[in-house]
Amino acid sequence: MWGGFAPGMRPDIPLTSSAKNWLVIAARLVLGGLFLYAGLAKIFKPYNFAAAVQAYQLLPPALVAVTAVFIPWMEAVAAGALIIGWKPRSAVLVLSALMIVFLAAIVITMARGLDIDCGCGLLVDRPVGWQALLEDGILLLLLLGLYTALLPPRAAVQAIETVP
Amino acid sequence: MSRGLIVRSTMASDLTWAVCLALLGAALGLVAQWGVIRHGWQGTLELQIAAVEKVEATRRLAAIQTYPLDQVLSIHQEGRAVFIDAREPAEYRELHIARAVSLPASQISVRQVAATLAGIARDHPIVVYCGSADCHASLRVAEFLQKQGYTQVAVYVGGFRAWDEAGYPVDIVR
Repeated sequence: MWGGFAPGMRPDIPLTSSAKNWLVIAARLVLGGLFLYAGLAKIFKPYNFAAAVQAYQLLPPALVAVTAVFIPWMEAVAAGALIIGWKPRSAVLVLSALMIVFLAAIVITMARGLDIDCGCGLLVDRPVGWQALLEDGILLLLLLGLYTALLPPRAAVQAIETVP
Repeated sequence: MSRGLIVRSTMASDLTWAVCLALLGAALGLVAQWGVIRHGWQGTLELQIAAVEKVEATRRLAAIQTYPLDQVLSIHQEGRAVFIDAREPAEYRELHIARAVSLPASQISVRQVAATLAGIARDHPIVVYCGSADCHASLRVAEFLQKQGYTQVAVYVGGFRAWDEAGYPVDIVR
């Protein structure tokens, strides 16, 4: 259940590559930290994020408010779970789903030709455009890579396969 | 148990827990920020956003020099400052303060600033404006310029509407 323990600490998974294990832990902490920061930044300024969501002109006001509240909390909860290692693969799936939503919103907005702030900048504001699309695309690929890396190793699966 | 079955079972479990995590986040958001959602349902979200933005803008403007209409006119007539239009490019093309250059807040970047203000010294006076007294694009651009090291950045708070209504010099992009 608890992913991302230091190499050799999980008796159920054979230690095949300690370097890979440490890389996975580092990726969990870095990606988790990034998304936790992004989520908290939006939680502490809900009306600013609501304004950013509203600027996309994709949702009616009632849904703008719900989206502006739900997305940051989902982001923060999933990022927190990823950092502490509780259901890390599921946390990665939640964050990936959010990234897909962000990417879809950016693509639709670019197609409509709206010049707005993407509301997705971590440290600085970014307009909707190719840069935001590329950055979010890379984040999604990293998340999917992390999900794959967090799957049980082949040796563990083979061990289970031998169970009648 | 086959490998395919194990992988499918793992992914199904992951998806189930992902839904649980998302629901947990949504529930926490619902409890912690019910006020925001209520504004959405009551149709007062836009008013609330405007109120919050106004309070923030007032706080941020305290750190920046601001000019009223009459003062900014004399600065313009004497050619003492570079005027920057922080509105969208289409608005700038349609009409802007004479001799102003376009630097839209929505597209601002270090590269954009360097290209727009090439040859302008960091201590040269700059006046930024946007559409009206209620917009905040000028504030964003002014803050960005300050971060880039421009030391004499001011905001003309009345915005283009007041300037145009007063019949002061305007220009279009030809």
